[in-house]
Amino acid sequence: MNPDIARLTVRQLLGQRRTVVVALLALVPVAIALLFRLAAPADADPERFTARGLLGGIVTTTILPLVTLVFATGAFGQDAEDGTLVYLLATPVPRRAIVLARLVVAWLAAAALLLPSAALAGALALQGGDPGIVVGFAVAVVAGAFVYTAAFTWLSIATSRALVAGLLYVFLWEGALSGLFGGIRFLSIRQYTAGIAGAFFDLPPGVYQPRLDPLPAVFLAAAVAAGMTILAVRQLRRWEIGESS
Amino acid sequence: MTAPSAPAIELRGVSRWYGNVVAVNDISFDVGPGITGLLGPNGAGKSTLLHMMAGFLRPSAGEVRILGEPAWQNPAIYRRIALVPEREAVYGFLTGRELVELAARLHGLPDPAAAAARAIDLVEMGPHAARQSGGYSKGMKQRIKIAAALVHDPQVLILDEPFNGADPRQRLHLMDLFRRMAAEGRTILYSSHILEEVERLADTVLVIVAGRLAASGDFRRIRALMTDRPHTFTVRSSDDRALAARLLAEPAIRGIAFEDGRLEVRSAELLAAARALPRAAREAGVTLFEVRPTDESLETVFSYLVHR
Repeated sequence: MNPDIARLTVRQLLGQRRTVVVALLALVPVAIALLFRLAAPADADPERFTARGLLGGIVTTTILPLVTLVFATGAFGQDAEDGTLVYLLATPVPRRAIVLARLVVAWLAAAALLLPSAALAGALALQGGDPGIVVGFAVAVVAGAFVYTAAFTWLSIATSRALVAGLLYVFLWEGALSGLFGGIRFLSIRQYTAGIAGAFFDLPPGVYQPRLDPLPAVFLAAAVAAGMTILAVRQLRRWEIGESS
Repeated sequence: MTAPSAPAIELRGVSRWYGNVVAVNDISFDVGPGITGLLGPNGAGKSTLLHMMAGFLRPSAGEVRILGEPAWQNPAIYRRIALVPEREAVYGFLTGRELVELAARLHGLPDPAAAAARAIDLVEMGPHAARQSGGYSKGMKQRIKIAAALVHDPQVLILDEPFNGADPRQRLHLMDLFRRMAAEGRTILYSSHILEEVERLADTVLVIVAGRLAASGDFRRIRALMTDRPHTFTVRSSDDRALAARLLAEPAIRGIAFEDGRLEVRSAELLAAARALPRAAREAGVTLFEVRPTDESLETVFSYLVHR
């Protein structure tokens, strides 16, 4: 990991308007938790709502992938598009150091928004229920953020339409198709995240039932993160400038 | 790995295509120390060629070697070469100094601040170095990009349309800088679609037309070829028909035609025609109002070189 590229990436991400939009997006779960706390019916089950609707629902299925997609594509996509990537690549810095610097910064930026968002939203909604739910999802969101960031980083080097491809993956593959084909859970970062969270609490299957057990979820998450990082490095080594005249 | 006698830049049978479109077609040449201009009209394949030399495009066929090493997938060559791309984009949130220092640090230089200051001075950007580069003019961006490229003192400098946006004074300054670098034994290859830019700076020229190498070698020889090609002029005079009749007797004149009521004169040689026209007008008692070359566009000149 190259510290100069890491610092550059931090300044890049901080200067982008999309970072503000993503920060606002991270506030959505907190707002929903507040609403639940203030206006939930008397017979509502806070553990069920927190594990299934809030943290296992909107945070894991929407906020987590969107935040990581924006940061990962922001870290590489913009440079590749406007040609500034040449200033990093026309140097002897190993390509793996460039990828790792950008990936780690994008992941930490995403985690810095997602972790407090998930923890605060969970704590607000849970109202004294099993704290393992919040701890589990806090750990799972940070782990899931790394896998998503690695996958979207590769995507942003591999294609100029990374944002669209990422959205298709999140909403079509992980959303619509995973309900139809059970095997998709093995290729779904959302399911890895849910499986990792499930290791930290024990709720009845009707309340929260991830499609992957914790051990395979951790193994698959680690394998996909490593695979995507390797692919991103390989892709950057073969990166071609996108113009001809 | 580096062969001491290897040319600085070496292309052997290099082609590059995008789908069905051939951008560069079977080009071979060597470039040695000094200043070489890569000349060609827009869309000729100059940038594609430069990007292959700089290791940012894989040749579809053939081989590109820089200082004896393959250019593609070889980041180690960037210790000794530099590319100044045509595109204006820089990290606009960085100041000019930060941008050049970043390049120095990425090259692992022992004193990045000193190296950056030296490179910034070379392009006379010192007074503007503390400003954010996003607010620079096109010419200033060009110069700070050149400073970032020069910060590690490269042996080979590849520049894509380096004078774009530079005002005449900056242009002269950059030309002087490149001449000094060439005098130190470095290899400088730059592209341009403007004949005069190449004429003023390059010792050697490579002419690219439609992805093919149309001519290469000493600039004066190629310039002579360009000058001594057949030319067509549109002539306006007090009596076009009388002038046409007299011109037919001139050996330098190859043809006469009236196109849309205008007299068109074809000649084998530019200089001979330049002498024949006023002489014929004087002898025919005709006043010349206008003599205008009709085929002086660079594309026409290049096309002639390809088909000669």
